[in-house]
Amino acid sequence: MSQGILRYLGSTMGRKYIMAISGLVWTLFVLTHMLGNLLIFASADAYNFYAYKLTSNPLIYVAEAALVVFIGMHAATGIGLRMRNSRTKPNLYAVTPKSAKGASVTSKSMIWSGTITLVFLILHLITFKFGAYYETTVDGILMRDIHKLVVECFSQTGYVVWYGVCLVLVGMHLYHGVASSFQTLGINHPKFNNAIKGFGWAYSIVVALGFLAVPFYVFFVKG
Amino acid sequence: MNLDSKIPNGHISEKWTQHQFESKLVNPANRRKFNVIVVGSGLAGASASASLAELGYNVKTLCIHDSPRRAHSIAAQGGINAAKNYQNDGDSVYRLFYDTIKGGDFRAREANVYRLAQNSVKIIDHCVALGVPFAREYGGLLANRSFGGAQVSRTFYARGQTGQQLLLGAYSAMMRQVDNKKIELLNFREMLDLVLIDGKARGVICRNVLTGEIESHAADAVILATGGYGNVFYLSTNAKWSNATAIWRAHKRGAAFGNPCFTQIHPTCIPVSGDYQSKLTLMSESLRNDGRVWVPKSGTDTRSPDQIPEEDRDYYLERVYPSFGNLAPRDIASRQAKFVCDEGRGVGSTKLAVYLDFAAAIKRDGRPVIEGKYGNLFQMYEKITGDDPYKVPMRIFPAVHYTMGGLWVDYNLQSTIPGLHVLGEANFSDHGANRLGASALMQGLADGYFVIPTTLAHYLGSTKLDKVDTNHDAFKNAKAEVEAGISRLMNIKGSKTADELHRKLGKLMWDNCGMQRSEESLKKLLEEVPKLRDEFWNNLRIPGEAATLNQELEKAGRVSDFIELGELMARDALERRESCGGHFRSEYQTPDNEAQRDDENFCHVALWEHQGQGKAPKRHTEELKFENVKLATRSYK
Amino acid sequence: MAGNNNSRTMRINLKVWRQKNQNTEGRLVDYALDNVSPDMSFLEMFDVLNEKLVAQNDEPVAFAHDCREGICGSCAMVIDGEPHGPQTGTTTCQLHMRTFSDGDTIVVEPFRAKAFPVVKDLVTNRTALDRIQAAGGYVSVATGNAPDGNAIPIAKEIADMAMDAAACIQCGACVAACRNGSAMLFVSAKVSQFSLLPQGQAERERRVSRMVWQMDEEDFGSCTNMGSCAAACPKEIKVENIARMNREFGRAMIFGRDRKQTAED
Repeated sequence: MSQGILRYLGSTMGRKYIMAISGLVWTLFVLTHMLGNLLIFASADAYNFYAYKLTSNPLIYVAEAALVVFIGMHAATGIGLRMRNSRTKPNLYAVTPKSAKGASVTSKSMIWSGTITLVFLILHLITFKFGAYYETTVDGILMRDIHKLVVECFSQTGYVVWYGVCLVLVGMHLYHGVASSFQTLGINHPKFNNAIKGFGWAYSIVVALGFLAVPFYVFFVKG
Repeated sequence: MNLDSKIPNGHISEKWTQHQFESKLVNPANRRKFNVIVVGSGLAGASASASLAELGYNVKTLCIHDSPRRAHSIAAQGGINAAKNYQNDGDSVYRLFYDTIKGGDFRAREANVYRLAQNSVKIIDHCVALGVPFAREYGGLLANRSFGGAQVSRTFYARGQTGQQLLLGAYSAMMRQVDNKKIELLNFREMLDLVLIDGKARGVICRNVLTGEIESHAADAVILATGGYGNVFYLSTNAKWSNATAIWRAHKRGAAFGNPCFTQIHPTCIPVSGDYQSKLTLMSESLRNDGRVWVPKSGTDTRSPDQIPEEDRDYYLERVYPSFGNLAPRDIASRQAKFVCDEGRGVGSTKLAVYLDFAAAIKRDGRPVIEGKYGNLFQMYEKITGDDPYKVPMRIFPAVHYTMGGLWVDYNLQSTIPGLHVLGEANFSDHGANRLGASALMQGLADGYFVIPTTLAHYLGSTKLDKVDTNHDAFKNAKAEVEAGISRLMNIKGSKTADELHRKLGKLMWDNCGMQRSEESLKKLLEEVPKLRDEFWNNLRIPGEAATLNQELEKAGRVSDFIELGELMARDALERRESCGGHFRSEYQTPDNEAQRDDENFCHVALWEHQGQGKAPKRHTEELKFENVKLATRSYK
Repeated sequence: MAGNNNSRTMRINLKVWRQKNQNTEGRLVDYALDNVSPDMSFLEMFDVLNEKLVAQNDEPVAFAHDCREGICGSCAMVIDGEPHGPQTGTTTCQLHMRTFSDGDTIVVEPFRAKAFPVVKDLVTNRTALDRIQAAGGYVSVATGNAPDGNAIPIAKEIADMAMDAAACIQCGACVAACRNGSAMLFVSAKVSQFSLLPQGQAERERRVSRMVWQMDEEDFGSCTNMGSCAAACPKEIKVENIARMNREFGRAMIFGRDRKQTAED
């Protein structure tokens, strides 16, 4: 990479490209993750088998490494820009406007919805990826019984509430993030802008509801 | 006083080319040895700064704003004339020249106007190259529209923001040179004096309006491009900060003032709504294509306009000028509006307005057509007045718009002070006694882009200029005088604000030296203005300190100059015992109330030489010779 | 009719930001004005306030203004948290008191951003925007070099889009409205104008790069696509321009012919 490109990427606009691209990678990831989760509605075995297939593929290490790098870049760049922006706008006004001359709740709370999402993500990994290791056998193969752990967690009221709140925040983060990424990458045309906005809205709702379906299912139906 | 106009010999179409060839040049390597100060950053100042810096001179540009782009050229709406003949309607350089001379009622210098028409063509090319988004036809070529005083379509435009776009073009060219370090931008600076050494202009004294610091800047030549002085009238279409201080103080240092009484009153402006009124807003002349001007026949008619039947309305322009009707020229339409209001037939709460009615046009063409033509203007009108012109007639009244007078300059745009050049509206040169629409932008850019690069080189290349810096006594003395002037203002400690006194001056000027002047009114003015000047110097109040941002101090300095200039305008108007263009003396009119020129005695430029504070100025004349256009009387009946 | 409303006047309570200079702290000060006419512009109300203050031998409120017809971009007040006040597509000077009601309390503050330091009261220094212009907001063509104006046809739609972007008055309301103090809308309007027109093509990559670096150097914030800028813009410049600048900058980064040299400029 030439020095030239680094100067571009280091600018506020270059850093926004990093935000947009890393954000979109994770946007895609959460969708696939959510779809995988929905296998719980099929059966415990299907759920466990899917997890087994996913984790036994050696490419998973590449994918995981990439996700870690992207979220690291996303978080570091986001925090860096936020700190810069608090410096470039040290004072807000005595009155907060309610019109469009102000900013929407989702857009102005990205740093908080993002930070909480990150904390949630780490705790989520500790709970599930590195949590209690139960075993089960599906089709004669010995594998981790992640289903049991999920049911265990989502039977606790406190955990479901925490999970629910976090997923609403994830949805909010996605709602602004998806449409915003398109704009940052220069994808904007009067003909398609409403479609892009609608897509971001639908995407965030689908993802959030998809994830939320699992704990509610476990808590109210299975529990 | 050197009054040689330096008009080159030869046929009118050859004069400029010949003059360019005969002018001295400065070789590229030597240009960087010369420093030039440009005061003002409107069309003329920005274009001059850019083109001189491109040539290699070191330029310092002063502007009173934070950004050069805020100069009042930005507000010009209609367009810019150029003799391109893109429309194949018979336009030519000669025709533009002819229309401009005639429109100016034969009080402009032929050679200058011809050069202006020649350069008009190049202005459009250059502005397009700079990225000015002119209006285009569907085929991608430049669009034109028509304007008053011409029978051809030669006006180029960028929506209703032509001045803005042309200024942004010049500003961008100028900022490129700021980045190249060829222009030093001195923003937030107000010029307060001109410094002369050995009789030549060698620098300026200015005040940094943010810090109050008085600064001296030395140079080899000084260019003033500070615009017109319409704000003498307090209420005008000029910006609030537009002022005459730079040209007035140069005048007091020896630059002759040409035709100070020539002011243009624009007929279609939004009228005054109360005593708090701070400025007037122009509504484009183009509205008169479809709007009908009227007032009630009776001055006691208080019905709302829609309740007044046709037979009780007086469409006075259509009545008096059946062939031109509502499209009578600016000066004539303005005067007629004044006449009907003087008769007490004005409308609105102040009775100083006439109706401009679109009901007939809307009925004839439908609202969408009218909206397509004038939508943005109707919107602007509604924003300001709260009235919807689709439903009720607009109320309009004439307002001061442009000053044709200004510092006298020769063909090289040099004033009577060697080394002091004056560009754009600040000089008197090209519009005679009345300016045609869409010609102000043309003149500003012609002067800055195409004339001054030649004529300034000639001055620098042919003049012996000793090295001077700001340690010279002349700078020290001028600076001390400016500082003394400021402290004098600060120490009056009276009770009236600068605005209060300015409003008073404006009313005096408008009533006595406005759309119509008479010997009686002018003599009254010459008695009243000195009284106002005394009141100013005895009763002004400026709160705060001088060594900081102090907008009251800025205003006060300008008002003090407006008062003196107002007196000179009255003198000039009194001495010009004829009517011509915007100068209408009630004693000199034809039986049917039209302007009556006196070519026998007044076919000249009046130049005023300052004789020192408290002394009457001296009047000189420059005879105007018309060799290519025949003197004729304008008629619009 | 509004013109006949002179008899109806309003009482307006103002809370105005007063600050002596850049180095001192400012605060909101209360003023009350009776007899405010609904036909007054917002700035004319300040004229009246100032005359009153001078009469009391107080210092008048410093505020920037000039053309008072919505085109010079000087006026810059934040009214109840909104740059140029509650209306859309309107500068402060074109805002009229009939928009408010008798007895209203209005809070007036200067444009706020690190790049716009307060000079005094409501006056800020916005020259950072000029330095961004100087960094690349031009077509490098010296006087006298131009081909005929009709030599290069420009489609009407393109000319119109360029004009939409060029309508920017550099007032800085976009920066003032933005919670990040970003100048992206302003810079993108300029970049758009030139990148749309054929005259701007030669310097396309250099222009956007240099203007963005200058924008960063002046300490403007980054864009988080909140859209307050476009809502506050008195000339209704759209955020599409920001997307276009995103494309232009990305294009310069990836395909720029003289990327390395531009970066070292």
